Amino acid sequence: MELFLQRLFDGLSQGSVYALLALGLVIIYRGTGHLNFAQGEMALFAAYCVYQLGEWGVPIYISVFIGMAIGFAVGAVSEVTLVRPLGKKSPFAVFIATIALFQGLNWLDGAIWGDQVLPNSGVGSTQQTYPSLFPDDPDDFIEIFGAAIRIESLGVLLLVLAITGLLFLVFNKTRFGLAMRAVASNTDSAKLVGIRTNTVLMASWGIAAALGALGGVVFAGINNAVSLGLMFTVFIYASAAATLGGFDSPGGAVIGGLTIGVIENLSAGYFPEWIGQEMKLAVAFIVIVVVLLFKPSGLFGTEKVERV
Amino acid sequence: MKSWITLKDSSAGHWALRVVGTVLIGGLLLWIPTKGSNGLITSATEAFTLMIAAMSLNLLLGYTGQISIGHSAFYGIGAYATGYAVSEWGWSPWWTFPFAFLVSFIVGVLVSFPASRIKGVYLALVTLALALVFPQLLRWQKLTWLTGGSLGLPQKDAQVDSTGFNIGRKEGQLQHYEIFGWDPFGDLRALDGKTPFFYWIAFIIVVAVYLVCRGVVKSRAGRSMVAVRDNETAAAVMGVNLVATKAFVFGISAGLCALAGSVAAIRLEKVSPDSTNLQIIGAITFLIIMVIGGAGSLWGPIIGAALFVFVSDRTGTWADEEAIPALLRPLFGWSKVPPGTGIFAVVLIVLMFVAPRGIAGLWRQHTPRLVRVLPKPAGTTSLAAPSTATLQRQSSTTTQNEGENS
Repeated sequence: MELFLQRLFDGLSQGSVYALLALGLVIIYRGTGHLNFAQGEMALFAAYCVYQLGEWGVPIYISVFIGMAIGFAVGAVSEVTLVRPLGKKSPFAVFIATIALFQGLNWLDGAIWGDQVLPNSGVGSTQQTYPSLFPDDPDDFIEIFGAAIRIESLGVLLLVLAITGLLFLVFNKTRFGLAMRAVASNTDSAKLVGIRTNTVLMASWGIAAALGALGGVVFAGINNAVSLGLMFTVFIYASAAATLGGFDSPGGAVIGGLTIGVIENLSAGYFPEWIGQEMKLAVAFIVIVVVLLFKPSGLFGTEKVERV
Repeated sequence: MKSWITLKDSSAGHWALRVVGTVLIGGLLLWIPTKGSNGLITSATEAFTLMIAAMSLNLLLGYTGQISIGHSAFYGIGAYATGYAVSEWGWSPWWTFPFAFLVSFIVGVLVSFPASRIKGVYLALVTLALALVFPQLLRWQKLTWLTGGSLGLPQKDAQVDSTGFNIGRKEGQLQHYEIFGWDPFGDLRALDGKTPFFYWIAFIIVVAVYLVCRGVVKSRAGRSMVAVRDNETAAAVMGVNLVATKAFVFGISAGLCALAGSVAAIRLEKVSPDSTNLQIIGAITFLIIMVIGGAGSLWGPIIGAALFVFVSDRTGTWADEEAIPALLRPLFGWSKVPPGTGIFAVVLIVLMFVAPRGIAGLWRQHTPRLVRVLPKPAGTTSLAAPSTATLQRQSSTTTQNEGENS
């Protein structure tokens, strides 16, 4: 029972990172109909920036906001300079552009911060570990039903739930949220009724990348370090979450993210022989394939009607 | 568009152009293994390997429009099929080429059935996930008997010792490299013979793969593929069998990509899950090569791979600031890793704006200004039309066809 609770909470806290990135994927997909393959790398860039701010002595509670602002800028600039002009040419061009962003951002991280795992005293890091938003010393845990739950896990989970709640308020109660929903449902009609669709789309990409940035910082915090390959698998888990929840459903993305996190941790924990740490990713892969084959709209998405 | 020189198809001038083109390319191909340094020959061989992989991806993505970022897995299947057959069964490496092709072909066909239900960018997502899962699968402890776990093949207790992976090496003699018992180099190159040998092997496979791709593209299947790419629903309405076409393309593409893995495996004498081309990076490399060279053109992947290897080799040491030419130092000096991937990311984005069809597309667009070959009027070409079409002729006639269509 204790073990189960522990694994459940580990899964939930990792799942909340996936949920953040999946939310970003969904926001972009709803807005422009593209799958942003660079979502994970945008997040990684922000995570590296937060590391650098930490090196300069900026406390994490401030630097996380700067990181999110950087994420927002990266997302918004990508939308304006790449996705919008290329989207007029072909979806394939946008796909290639996101792949190029993926590759280019990953290279940029390596070019600036080198290819070793950071923080690393060998290259002069002053920080011991990657800054974490929550206390993460080995003895920072609370007991729930006899299970030792790390405060960090709990904090991350609560943070993500709070952010999600906030986003739902923004989507459903504000003018901007209304504009976003209008653009998502029909861009041309939205333009006709006077919504500045370009601003909305730019902001969608920005918000998506900012959410990803938060996810990246939190994940690097859980992981205690940041490295070039950190977000590859996280991106896959996040896509699995978005697929499971439905690519056009923000609520589905959060539920999908938490579900994927829990499934991943429970299956790795209870079948160490068959799945273990190595094959955790295969679970996400199977989820993606099965959902796409049997219910392509996901659990909460709307079905797509194809026109000839 | 006015061009400087206009030639008639099969006229003396056209033949001269063909001869010059063939001599230039052929001369370069001969110069590299005979006069070039060992490093250059190795680079050329790597370029050949990447050409094979990119050409196979081109069939699937460029011609059929099925996005795959998972070709590193097929590459890996080829490498492991070769590795297993040689080290566990003691096969001659030459028989492993058809074997690797066959294994990967079957896997490709099997993959095509779920894949044909998944469309567009979702397929990209699934294949991306596959590319990340594949190396993990190779390390999976339940499959260690087959893959050798994270150490790769040949396994420690392989029937043939690790030198069994060395092709045709005879004990106590100078190294021999033979093809089915025929020794093309003899002792001429002695210890040095290995690099040019593999250069030619890879070259032969490149030519074979090119011919297969050309045959497929110009056949009925190729036209079905293009129809599927341009509009899947319309193609189905016109009577193209979607499932069969996709199964065929996935199979061929996977099989050809496996050949690249095979070549690499016998050249490097080992396979392990850590090889670069087996990782997600490999799949993205194939994709970048194909897109930069020109998706949907036969020569595109070849140009792309040559360019990719050239640039990566040149910039490979640039993590060290001293190694950068003084002129470029301000541009790349700050980078802690070689700037190759960054350069390609930028090139990729620029190409998407100016030339979505890659370098081959640019070539087709601009060479007619210089030389234009007028095709013979339709119906007058004899059936025994010259099959050794050179780059120039092919590119310029296609431009004209495109011009007529649009």
